[in-house]
Amino acid sequence: MKSAKDFAIVTHDVTKNYKSRIRNLEQRTSFFHRNHRTVTAVDHLSLEIRRGETFGLLGRNGAGKTTLVKVLCTLLPPDEGTAIVNGFDVVKQQMQVKRSIGTIFSVGERGFFWRLTGYGNLEFYAAINNVPRHSRKERIMEVLDLVGMKGNAFQLFQKYSGGMKRKLALARALLADPPILLLDEPTTGLDVVSSRTIREFIRDDLSRKQGKTVLYTTHYIEDASQICDRIAIMQKGRLIALDTPNALRALAKKNEVSDVIVKNMSKTQINALKGMYGVASLAADVQDAMLGQTRLRLRLENVDTLPEIFDFFFKEKIKIVNFKQEEPTLEDAFIELTGSGIKE
Amino acid sequence: MTLLQELDKIYFFMKRDIRSFSTYKTNILLSVLSALFGALSYAFLGSNAQMQSVLNSYHIDFTTYLIIGIAFNTYLSQSLTLVQKTINPWSLEEVLVSPTGLVTFIIGSSAWGFIWSTLVIAIYLAVGVFAFGVVLSINIIGTVLVVALGISTFIGFSMIGAGILILTKQGDPITTGITIATNLFGNVLFPPQVMPQALQVISYFVPQYYFFTTIRQVLTGATLLTILPDLLILILMCAVILPLGYLIYSWCLRTAKKNGTLSWF
Repeated sequence: MKSAKDFAIVTHDVTKNYKSRIRNLEQRTSFFHRNHRTVTAVDHLSLEIRRGETFGLLGRNGAGKTTLVKVLCTLLPPDEGTAIVNGFDVVKQQMQVKRSIGTIFSVGERGFFWRLTGYGNLEFYAAINNVPRHSRKERIMEVLDLVGMKGNAFQLFQKYSGGMKRKLALARALLADPPILLLDEPTTGLDVVSSRTIREFIRDDLSRKQGKTVLYTTHYIEDASQICDRIAIMQKGRLIALDTPNALRALAKKNEVSDVIVKNMSKTQINALKGMYGVASLAADVQDAMLGQTRLRLRLENVDTLPEIFDFFFKEKIKIVNFKQEEPTLEDAFIELTGSGIKE
Repeated sequence: MTLLQELDKIYFFMKRDIRSFSTYKTNILLSVLSALFGALSYAFLGSNAQMQSVLNSYHIDFTTYLIIGIAFNTYLSQSLTLVQKTINPWSLEEVLVSPTGLVTFIIGSSAWGFIWSTLVIAIYLAVGVFAFGVVLSINIIGTVLVVALGISTFIGFSMIGAGILILTKQGDPITTGITIATNLFGNVLFPPQVMPQALQVISYFVPQYYFFTTIRQVLTGATLLTILPDLLILILMCAVILPLGYLIYSWCLRTAKKNGTLSWF
């Protein structure tokens, strides 16, 4: 039986609605009337994240991941429910929560001052995050070393590459040595190598060596499956699944998975295929727009359905460029649960 | 590529900007008002024959009057926008997730602006003294007191303006209103006595009038006792505006956080 102390983050029925003014004149009823719309970004969400756990929050854009992170870091008060971070309430004990967390927001370079050096930026953030003056310099160099940026400490921020900016954001989050890290899409927009370096650092250094609790939001399925102990899938503000990556993969195992690359397939044809008997789910991504190639991730309820699928392609004069049958991946589990691909 | 095509493109560039511009209705109104009142204040400055006779009652020549007015107006203008500068959407969230209180945040973000403004004022006054023969006899305690009151009052205004800006994301009517009031009724570029009687009355309700009246006096040797009546009114106005500004700013910040619109601009 686990007690509340075992959890770094606990949310209970957290709900967050956004009420925004409609600025687009075409959608407004009149020039002078102020129309509003309400969107529920997080909808009665309850979860518990254990201390030392690397917890992935997976979902498409607009699923509510960033809103949840903002609630947890005290930037947004929840409309309903409670959120406890490191034992402190995000509404009533904001200062204690802020002292417990390090945060990266999805736009990594936000908050940095472009005309200062990396060191200069961290010096400012070290001060406002209560890093003692006498150990500030040492700590800054320590975190820069941790993220592999020590050699670039005195370069201007504006000269940094995208990967270096993200690493500096990670260094900033680590400055006060917080026990909990809230990392909102920390690898978005990075190249494969930089992205992998950051993921490995989170898994090997932050999680395994330092034992930090990491909440890692992403819409990159493989990112989450590589580093997370458990993954929660969010859709329209709700939690629709929560388990280990392997257990989530197993959800999709009952179905056969085919990876098909086709040429010149229209949206109507894709929808027709989606509606065919025996097709459990279908995710379509543009493979090569120039060549008119589409990648279909097709899950069939039964392998016997396959001849009918080929028959469909033949009748519709759709050319098959490549076809292979695969073990279900986490992406298949995602499709199984959400009914759509993550990039759609 | 035809001329018609290019004209069509130009039209759509313009249409895009007009659509975007028309969503900032407050801003449009404020720009028009600024232009209108700006023209009015310069008209008073340039065309009033009574100017020198009014200034005689101030025991000050026009150059000294103007140099002090412009120098300290720079100071107040700086104060007026200081809190707004702290709500830079680029860094606001990152600062707000740090364990830093609101007062530290505002003072910290404003400190350099004040130091820089003080240097700018020193330059203005030095130019006045060395190039135009302005004679100053500074009452240091009085100057520090009046400046502190002026800045505090304007920070109060600045917090109200910044709060409104956080919520509306559009033009900030407070800052524009205060700037207009300063230029027109604030005793900056011309004494209110040169305006029609009905407008003169408004001056007595704006703290800028008391600030500029007292700062000129303490910089030209007046004692605290001499300026006491105006100083007391300035203290009273500051005591109301500063806490009111803080309350409005923190309320607007809380509301924007609640609405999730803190970094939307």
